Amino acid sequence: MNHMADFLTRSLHASRSRRRFLQTSIAGLSSMALSSCGWTLAKVQTDQVRRGAADELHIYTWSNYVDQDLIDAFRSQTGIKVISDVFDSNEMMLATFQAGKAGTYSIIYPSDYKVSQMVQLGYLSELDHSRLDGLRNILPRFQQSVHDPGNRFSVPVSWGTTGLIYNSEKLTEPPTDWDYLWKHKDKLTRRLTLMDDFREVMGATLRSLGYSYNATDPQQIKQAYEKLQELKPAITTFTTDAWRDQLLAGDLTIAMGYSADAVNVMNQNPKLKYVIPASGTSLWSDTMVIPKTAPNPEAAYAWMDFMLEPDVAARVTERLFFATPNEAAFNQLPDNLKNNVTLFPPHNLLDRSETLAPLDKPILELYEKYWTKLTSS
Amino acid sequence: MSTKAPSAPAQVQTSSPQWLQALLLLAPAGIWLALLLVIPTLLIFQLSLVPDIKPGDIVNPSGLDNYLRIFQPDVLKVIGRSLLFAIGTTLLCLLMGFPVAYWIALLSPKRWRNLLLLAFVLPLWTSSLLRSYAWISILRPTGVLNTLLTSLHLPTLDLLNRSPAVLIGMTYSLLPYMVLILYASLEKLDRRFLEAAADLGATPPQAFWKVTVPQTLPGIAAGSLLVFITGLGDFINPELLGGTSSMTAARLIYNQFLGATQNWGFGSALSMVLILAVSLAIALLIKYGDKNASSL
Repeated sequence: MNHMADFLTRSLHASRSRRRFLQTSIAGLSSMALSSCGWTLAKVQTDQVRRGAADELHIYTWSNYVDQDLIDAFRSQTGIKVISDVFDSNEMMLATFQAGKAGTYSIIYPSDYKVSQMVQLGYLSELDHSRLDGLRNILPRFQQSVHDPGNRFSVPVSWGTTGLIYNSEKLTEPPTDWDYLWKHKDKLTRRLTLMDDFREVMGATLRSLGYSYNATDPQQIKQAYEKLQELKPAITTFTTDAWRDQLLAGDLTIAMGYSADAVNVMNQNPKLKYVIPASGTSLWSDTMVIPKTAPNPEAAYAWMDFMLEPDVAARVTERLFFATPNEAAFNQLPDNLKNNVTLFPPHNLLDRSETLAPLDKPILELYEKYWTKLTSS
Repeated sequence: MSTKAPSAPAQVQTSSPQWLQALLLLAPAGIWLALLLVIPTLLIFQLSLVPDIKPGDIVNPSGLDNYLRIFQPDVLKVIGRSLLFAIGTTLLCLLMGFPVAYWIALLSPKRWRNLLLLAFVLPLWTSSLLRSYAWISILRPTGVLNTLLTSLHLPTLDLLNRSPAVLIGMTYSLLPYMVLILYASLEKLDRRFLEAAADLGATPPQAFWKVTVPQTLPGIAAGSLLVFITGLGDFINPELLGGTSSMTAARLIYNQFLGATQNWGFGSALSMVLILAVSLAIALLIKYGDKNASSL
């Protein structure tokens, strides 16, 4: 449905964007200039910035992070019109960015490990903290993160865990840890989905073997692959978000997913429960960044500042149900949300969990190799 | 315009040589093809020669590693599965499409014919994504199909996220093309041959196999190849209706560019193989297909 709407909007705006298309293609052609040792694939030219309209802000975000209320509130406060496009995976976001959309967006919402990759590639502009007063409201845990210590390039906007969402009506013994899936695989056959994300799935399996989410030992990675291969007949499909409808309809018993999505389906059906596996899980955070190629950095700062306002962050948390890293906003939340363990899990569980760390290229390729093997066979 | 037309050719011939005329007429399409087909294909070919390339890396062609990777058992299995899906879809479309086209072209009342054809093509006016989503809600374990089966006291079917669902979705998407092409071919069937066959003592089945089928063979070839080509590259149906064991070449290519595992070089090599396979099928189509039918 999104694709259709997207296509329609694009066709409607075709004439207006034709000039931009020409500019982009000329920039694209010039970036392919041949040198003696070949050209750079999908090079993002951070030194060539195109200025956009001052009262327009294009943001590129996850599907459930922005709603009309938020866009309207921002417009009435600043007079800036927000146009948001959505992506459903970090990889797709980066590929789109590199393949020619770099000069379009002034705000992007990458997750933790993608921030470090984008910093490494030199795509992100360093933030001017004097323009972001609200940063001091961010919890210390998120100010000193592995992926961006001191929030030099990114502002955390939401965080959460990965876990298992299950239908409590269909299970006599509820799951408590990752190992449950292997122990009950016969009963769960074709009633289980895992995420379409190799870091999360391989990581969870590594964790169930007692290793780290960020294991670099080829033997451990191989062991995880073999363990997943055992579970494969029970898995219906690998999907990061299509499980929601199927779980609500009763077609699935357990799905692996993000806590933010879990809260959404649990609001629709109280029989659905979320559990963070006892041996630990991955702790993720999504952030806002300003690319060097941003056509309207002024509006981008205005958006960041707006999103950091405790009032705004609290209302968004109430409406869209994602955990805010903003302490001042958290304090404003009603008690039922503050005590919601799916959104804000207890500290002992968080201490056992890990954030996904960037991996070196050869190790990453090993993960990818096993993932392709797993999904192709 | 039309009043001036008769004198126009003479003027053109005197003012410009024939080669210039041809060049002028062909230039727009030629430039279009060169910019949007030839150059991109060459770029894909160049990328396919760089192992493990990701955006931001230097393109430095260094060998056939990516093509060698295609011969790994897992990848061959994926390509084989794509071929099976495409062939299966072609056979199903032919089996279901031929009787329909036959009925519309030869047996249905003449004044209904256009309306019937239109009705058959109507689903093509909706988004293919939407049609795949419709199949999800039909084939789901607790979906429309199983609700119906349960109410009839029949055992339920678990089809979604399995190969049968992919075949059903692909066949449904491509059937209208098959019917249209077969219809065009059957409509031209010279019925006097059928009458002659009957006069000479052929039974209707004999006449069908010895007269109707040979005469429509070019149409059958055109329809089958078109369905096969489109099926080979289909992405939406395997992606939405398939499960953990229905990875196809198109999905694997997608994963190399926009999915979790990014490797543009390997994705390009796979694309080149798919482009070659499809080009081969199109060459066959041009050689053996029904010229009039395939221009539909």
